[in-house]
Amino acid sequence: MSSEEAKEYALPPEVLEETIRASEELWKPVRKIKFRIYKYNPRKDYAPHWEEHELEVSRGMTVLDALLVIKGEMDHSLGVRYSCRMGLCGSCAMMINGKQMLACQTRVLEAAGDGDVVELRPLDNFPVERDLAADFTSFFEKHKAVKPWIIRNDEVELNNPTGPYKQTVDEYARYYQFTDCIKCGACLSACPTAATDYEYLGPQALAQAYRYMVDTRDDGLDVRIPIVDSEHGCWRCHFAASCSDVCPRGVDPAQGIQLLKKLLIKRKFGFKPHKPAEALPAKVKAERKE
Amino acid sequence: MRESTVMFLHYITAILIAITGLIHLLANNDPGIGAVIKANSALYFGNMAIFLAALLYHAFNGVRVILIEMVPDKCWTKWISWAVLIVGIVTYAVGLQVLMVALGFA
Ligand code: SF4
Ligand code: SF4
Ligand code: FES
Repeated sequence: MSSEEAKEYALPPEVLEETIRASEELWKPVRKIKFRIYKYNPRKDYAPHWEEHELEVSRGMTVLDALLVIKGEMDHSLGVRYSCRMGLCGSCAMMINGKQMLACQTRVLEAAGDGDVVELRPLDNFPVERDLAADFTSFFEKHKAVKPWIIRNDEVELNNPTGPYKQTVDEYARYYQFTDCIKCGACLSACPTAATDYEYLGPQALAQAYRYMVDTRDDGLDVRIPIVDSEHGCWRCHFAASCSDVCPRGVDPAQGIQLLKKLLIKRKFGFKPHKPAEALPAKVKAERKE
Repeated sequence: MRESTVMFLHYITAILIAITGLIHLLANNDPGIGAVIKANSALYFGNMAIFLAALLYHAFNGVRVILIEMVPDKCWTKWISWAVLIVGIVTYAVGLQVLMVALGFA
């Protein structure tokens, strides 16, 4: 871009000034908030306890920002898991004032509301790894159990692909919302069935099973049926929909599970949702390139 | 049996309970069609036998589901299902016998 062009795109001085002022305003400390934090190291501690820290917070400060300040300046031993800091990796889900939320997406003042205390503890329904970090081993095992990948029977095409698999927009729309799952565990943590039935596959894994079972590129419907149609599978869902209520990505796993049940009943009567998609012939591929 | 079959029957029995329960109520209270059903003891008994079977299936399956959720250990799951099935069959047999005696079939 030439300097002349750059000038054209530059903000007018009064807008720039206003932007800077708004940004300063966002990060100016406005209130003192008390953080009540769950502390427990199962390898060392006999029982969990709570620790409290007070912090001046700004309007833009997220719970994760606050935790990193606490970890850096007040309690270096604090166990907290995070990575992307922008609601994409799903690592920082925790109980914030009793509700499953992403720490990096929740602003402190929003969580505190009219009060001045923010209580933080690890996700319910998960074993504790350390302090605010939950142990996701069984969660990921359940996810893996439903085979969350495309299953195909055409070995030759799989090993020597001749083109991409054909899929229309309508076919994509059937499972699109479930691809937004970031595996944060909030849904499983809110699920009342998972609270007592540790073997229950849970909303995340079941919604993902549905996502692959209706993907036209997939041919693994009958492979996954014995897994999800089991005593601790989708029929243990009572459709309280607490899972969908807390999902930070707007996924509706409860709906996925009900659709999965419908699919299983229809399969009983011989129905299959789709024929596995064919690969687009190389000719079409070449035409597309042109 | 697949869990979907068990649960499909659970929903079917819920509908059956409503239908046979209604027939039972009619038989005992309605002077028109009810009196006809009551007069035909085989029909009355058949309806009650289906009502009892549906009711017990629905109720015992409900108990099984609760137990499976409360005792999630996988090795217990099959035992719970078998135990509930046996208790259900015995209860049905006793219920049928009571019905037969009450209606003069035995
Ligand atoms: S469905 Fe939503 S709440 Fe559940 S793991 Fe995926 S993103 Fe998290
Ligand atoms: S809808 Fe089903 S999976 Fe979701 S919270 Fe309720 S019981 Fe759990
Ligand atoms: S740090 Fe990645 S979602 Fe919060």
